[in-house]
Amino acid sequence: MNFAKEPGAAHGGFSDWYWQRLSAVALALLLPLPFFLLAAVYSGSIDQQGLLDIVDHFVSRLLHTILIVALMVHAYMGLKVIFEDYVHQTGWRVALIGAMLLVMSGFGIWWLAIIWAWGG
Amino acid sequence: MADMITLSVFRYDPEQDDAPSMQAYEVPFTGPGMKLLDALNYIKWQLDGTLTYRRSCGEGVCGSDGLNINGVNGLACITPVAGLKQPIHVRPLPSMHVIRDLVVDMDHFFDQYRQIQPWLKTETPTPEHERLQTPEQRAELDGSYECILCGCCTTSCPSWWWNGDRFLGPAALLQANRWIVDSRDEAMGERLDQLEDSFRLYRCHQIMNCMEACPKELNPTAAINNIKRKLLARKS
Repeated sequence: MNFAKEPGAAHGGFSDWYWQRLSAVALALLLPLPFFLLAAVYSGSIDQQGLLDIVDHFVSRLLHTILIVALMVHAYMGLKVIFEDYVHQTGWRVALIGAMLLVMSGFGIWWLAIIWAWGG
Repeated sequence: MADMITLSVFRYDPEQDDAPSMQAYEVPFTGPGMKLLDALNYIKWQLDGTLTYRRSCGEGVCGSDGLNINGVNGLACITPVAGLKQPIHVRPLPSMHVIRDLVVDMDHFFDQYRQIQPWLKTETPTPEHERLQTPEQRAELDGSYECILCGCCTTSCPSWWWNGDRFLGPAALLQANRWIVDSRDEAMGERLDQLEDSFRLYRCHQIMNCMEACPKELNPTAAINNIKRKLLARKS
């Protein structure tokens, strides 16, 4: 029996693999920070004004931006792999991955707008 | 160990049966050296001549008798009966088209092997005698050349179950790496070009069933990671 579904190499796939791992490293480094901040607030080490000062700081906003971008990239790559694994009809796969890209991009842009207080 | 061992063997003849079934057999235990293939041979020769399975060397070299034994892939000829939980469930390699009983269609598996072009590719003129390797260069092939293409690793890989039509699977990728690391081969770039694909290579999710299943104790996952590292080095 010969399965004829062999389209050859697409010369891609490396970038997905690479960005998934790079974003994982960024998440491992940055994701604990908001939890430390949360713990500091609950323990009473930081008051509301102190929290706002930290969150408003340029470096915090920059790190927050990197965190959100890494989160979106990592989630997108992970879900893309799941769709590629389990959705075997090309039309459905392309549609689902495209829809996911749009939703995640929209969510990421919305979050960035909050971080940088776009529109005042 | 009891005098008799019990087996539950997968039976299916697509030309006669509507669905597969498991058939029970009792086989005398002949001693600690008894292998599962001995039990199957006893069934075939003494109890039921219709049982169909592949076998050849009986020494773990030819790779003919890859089977799913109590849920784990392995070679019947080197799997001791002692130590296997009874009844011993013997099934064909998973995710394969069954031709009859324990015999599966290996065509697609070998087609994928051919896709990685498993032969020496060179551009430089052929030397008068042979293409020499240092002992260190030869040692690079250890862990790859021993593969006997039994299919135990590939058919234990869930990624291959879901996308076996495009994912090359552990055995073919182990062999691809074998030619990539061969110092005499001069087509590494071409080989990497042919492998750089979301489905052909990057469907490997490091589940490592292949490593567990390999009867030669090879590590296809490490070979696949080496190919990924070569691609990373090429891009960086």
